[in-house]
Amino acid sequence: MRSAGVLLLVTALVVTPRAHAEPVDEARLRARLSPDIADRVLVVVRAAADQGLPTRGMVARALEGQSRHAPAAAILDAVSRQGAALAAARMALGSTARDAELEAGAAALQGGVPEDSLTSLRRARPTGSLVIPLVVLSDLVARGVPAPQASSTVVAAARAGAADPELLRMRERVNQRIIRGEPPPGATREGLRELLMRTAPDDRHPPPASAAKKGGQSP
Amino acid sequence: MDEDDRLTQQIRDAYQRPLPGEDVARARVLERVRREPVAHGSGGGRWLRVTPLAAAASLIAVLALGAVGGAAWMKARTGARAPGPATLGIDGQPTAVTFVFRAPGASHVALVGDFNGWDPQATPLRRAALGDAWTAEVQLHSGLHVYAFVIDGREWIPDPSAPLAPETGYGRRNSVVVVGEGDAL
Repeated sequence: MRSAGVLLLVTALVVTPRAHAEPVDEARLRARLSPDIADRVLVVVRAAADQGLPTRGMVARALEGQSRHAPAAAILDAVSRQGAALAAARMALGSTARDAELEAGAAALQGGVPEDSLTSLRRARPTGSLVIPLVVLSDLVARGVPAPQASSTVVAAARAGAADPELLRMRERVNQRIIRGEPPPGATREGLRELLMRTAPDDRHPPPASAAKKGGQSP
Repeated sequence: MDEDDRLTQQIRDAYQRPLPGEDVARARVLERVRREPVAHGSGGGRWLRVTPLAAAASLIAVLALGAVGGAAWMKARTGARAPGPATLGIDGQPTAVTFVFRAPGASHVALVGDFNGWDPQATPLRRAALGDAWTAEVQLHSGLHVYAFVIDGREWIPDPSAPLAPETGYGRRNSVVVVGEGDAL
């Protein structure tokens, strides 16, 4: 898994153009990690930074591992997989995706969401921020909703023009249902149904142009 | 305490112990009470017949509802509140975000996240004057932040009121807060 993650990261770094490089927080890593693991983590972080990927989360992932007393191999694996997920998120969301979107997209991918779901989400909301939809998507999966259903739910909500507050309310309602004992798939179906029924026109995010041309898309 | 006193105490203790199958019997009684037809305006001027058994069952039901409600309330009290999944922020300017966590019985609560290097010593929460609430205010820049609470230096737990982040190799999930992002703001 670790080698696959590193391979994916290296492949993605090779095929993606250079953008901007974020400063690497080398001092913090060296202060917290052993010299050997710090060097190895820095290789991965610098490679990502050279390709314009946001490295703040990668550095934080390494520091989190140190605080959790994780083995060195686990820390390097986590940082490598984070880099690979960021690269894959950029491939799926497009080169114009902002750092927060890439971080949220990487989290979704690491949670098991397929890459094409990120692309579908971008198509459903081509201009607005995808951070909240991706956070909601990751949360649904983390609570036991199958990734394909969680993806189709959030994409359907976005296609229907649901704005971020509506998506957050849906997440909360689904969570409450799951806490009450409902199976996550059923809770999610109800959450989406309620969202589609309650989403007021004023709350709605502007629909994508493709949807407007077709007179709107139903989920 | 003589023999009679000991016997009396044993009998008293025996009565105070729950009976085997008491829960099942209580459920049956409640079910029968629910099915009991309500008599309206029948003879004798009584509109509702209440037997001693039904009265006892009703009392038990009220107490049970109170206990369930109380438990739910207590559970809610142990959860964290704020900052919520999305918080208003101004581009380029850090935003003060207050984290609140309710941890009955805890002697120390700390906030760890990508904003403080996941350092359990960096951001201790302060216990409120009353109750079990612990709070900490943190300046966060716009973007997505991942965090957790550390109870008594040992247990890392996510914020029960916030979206979850995926498990990323360290065995436990974290929570997510978004500052200044999205059209929620």
